[in-house]
Amino acid sequence: MNIAKYPVKITLYKKGEMIYFSQLDIMHVLERALRRTPLALFYTQGFNPHVKISFSKALKLGVEGKIEVTLYFTSKVSLDELTGNLTPQLPAGLDIV
Amino acid sequence: MVYSLFNVMDFKLFQKPQRYIGNEWNVVKKDHSNKVTICLGYPDLYEVGMSNLGLRIIYGALNQFNDVVCERVFMPAPDLARFLRKRNKKLFSLETKTPLDQFAVLGFNFNYVLNFINFLHILNLGGLPVKASQRRDIIVLGGGIDNPQPLAEFVDVFFLGEFEGTVPNFVNVLRKYKDKESRLKALSQIEGVYVPKFYTSVFENNSYKLIKDYKYAKLPIKRVYVRDLNTSFYPVKWLTPHTQIIHDRIPVEIARGCPNQCTFCQARAFYWPYRQRSISTIEETVKESYRHSGYENFSFLSLSASDYSSIEDLIDRTSAFFQERKIGLSLPSLRADDILGRLYTKLAKIKKTSLTIAVEAANESLRRDLNKKIDINKLFEAVKVVRTLRLKHIKTYFMFGFPQETGDDLAAIGVLLRKLHSQSGLSLNASINTFIPKPFSLWEGEPMQTEAVLLQKKNVILRNVRFNRNLRIFLSNPKKSILEAVICRADRKFWSVIYRAFTKDTEFSTYDDASFLKLWYNAIEEEAIDYRFYLEAKTDNFPWSFIETGQKL
Ligand code: SF4
Repeated sequence: MNIAKYPVKITLYKKGEMIYFSQLDIMHVLERALRRTPLALFYTQGFNPHVKISFSKALKLGVEGKIEVTLYFTSKVSLDELTGNLTPQLPAGLDIV
Repeated sequence: MVYSLFNVMDFKLFQKPQRYIGNEWNVVKKDHSNKVTICLGYPDLYEVGMSNLGLRIIYGALNQFNDVVCERVFMPAPDLARFLRKRNKKLFSLETKTPLDQFAVLGFNFNYVLNFINFLHILNLGGLPVKASQRRDIIVLGGGIDNPQPLAEFVDVFFLGEFEGTVPNFVNVLRKYKDKESRLKALSQIEGVYVPKFYTSVFENNSYKLIKDYKYAKLPIKRVYVRDLNTSFYPVKWLTPHTQIIHDRIPVEIARGCPNQCTFCQARAFYWPYRQRSISTIEETVKESYRHSGYENFSFLSLSASDYSSIEDLIDRTSAFFQERKIGLSLPSLRADDILGRLYTKLAKIKKTSLTIAVEAANESLRRDLNKKIDINKLFEAVKVVRTLRLKHIKTYFMFGFPQETGDDLAAIGVLLRKLHSQSGLSLNASINTFIPKPFSLWEGEPMQTEAVLLQKKNVILRNVRFNRNLRIFLSNPKKSILEAVICRADRKFWSVIYRAFTKDTEFSTYDDASFLKLWYNAIEEEAIDYRFYLEAKTDNFPWSFIETGQKL
């Protein structure tokens, strides 16, 4: 069975306390933040499924900067809807820009 | 105000700065003015301490009160610890970076005796005198410690047993009394509380006795426990770290205690009596803690999940929730016959089930002595079936160093491992631990074997193991086990050894460092303590015998 996949691209800005968290850490932060929203998440297939998130490029540890990520859903989600649901679930220092 | 302590520095200087940030999801930060201030400590690194359920329960329970501030501190890694010492800066709480000596109470919860040095390091780095009599702040130790006596010089208050129910009483005492002496006096009258300074410990006629020096203090002291797990506090506002910790999952307790009676087991006495949480409470806890955290892994926690009376219903009622959200669930303490039988089809549906088998002894006759009930034929049938469950490996547990064990019992471990491996086709992790006669276990009165005997036995085990890359063996170091046994069985006199070991540990070593054991044994020697005395179990009772667990056999 093929599940529909709707990507949404967003840009985050990492600063303050969050600069100490690695790309892998940020991935978990985003996964859990998304899981706290009511959005219809798209999960990867296979033995160990998880929320699908892809990073455009690696961000260095210990510095401020932009992070470009693509998030995936099983139904159409507008950017506004995503921002509205995700923003309250993000820790201070990680913001959608 | 954040990092005010650190205006000269940057957390970038340290390895894994994530450990010290204190910005977890659901973290509680409060203003300190006019509040009872408490800092909870754990004498190991962040990622270990954050995996401790007891600490989380107490953190949540204390922060429920508006007039209480409860923060956390963990053992800093050696790089930060050395930095603090060199710069003369004090160790701080994670939440508000407040130096530890500014808190009214420091509460600890730990059970591992080799962490005693770290416990003193935390106090010392936080600017507090390590000895109770020289300190104005109150140090409380709760939860896991079995025998409080070796720490009696350092700790003001021990909570014996499960603390959840005592939290309101404790907070009331802190609200009502402001100076240390009256607080201690009031606390000593609460059930389950041991304040060492109100008792003298004597050893005469081959037995230990405690004498009260304050007439209202309790004696004997009874361990306290929560009567109803369905109404006791559970930290559903789960403190969710932004970095990986050792046990990266939410453990939802399904039962506390164990109805079995394995003779070597301390946990069964410690968490006596056996209590279960209802399925609806468990369901509610899972949903609420997921809603607050978004955690992708859960486990059903209990000493023996197979004994949970409606384990099938529990899995039926919760598996859809886990499946729909691709949440991993582990059931760490199932019996092999259950995996084969009633639970097989249910487990196959759950993502990532890990399989752990506590065999303890490879031969049936020794298992019978230990009161460990396993049907070994069923175990092998089960192991064949697990090939089809998506497992990476099987973990097994064994013990050695029992007085009655024979050469054949030891050799049989290797044989059993070989068979488990060939029948499952999976790689195996085997932990083979030394038997330690732990306080409150049914065999607390058995002698601990000597290092020479244990080393010999270890060799017999190793000679019979056929190593290959699918078999990983962890076999405990007898010297380390003996040290653990000494510390957990010692009396009040032993404080001087702990203190000396602490002062010797100037480099903040960890218990994997080669220097660590040496430092302890040197301390024992310099204090001229005959440690075999604690291991031979020839006394009529033990330093911890003044504590009543209440269990009836
Ligand atoms: S070893 Fe396990 S099964 Fe045996 S009494 Fe202890 S907790 Fe229960």
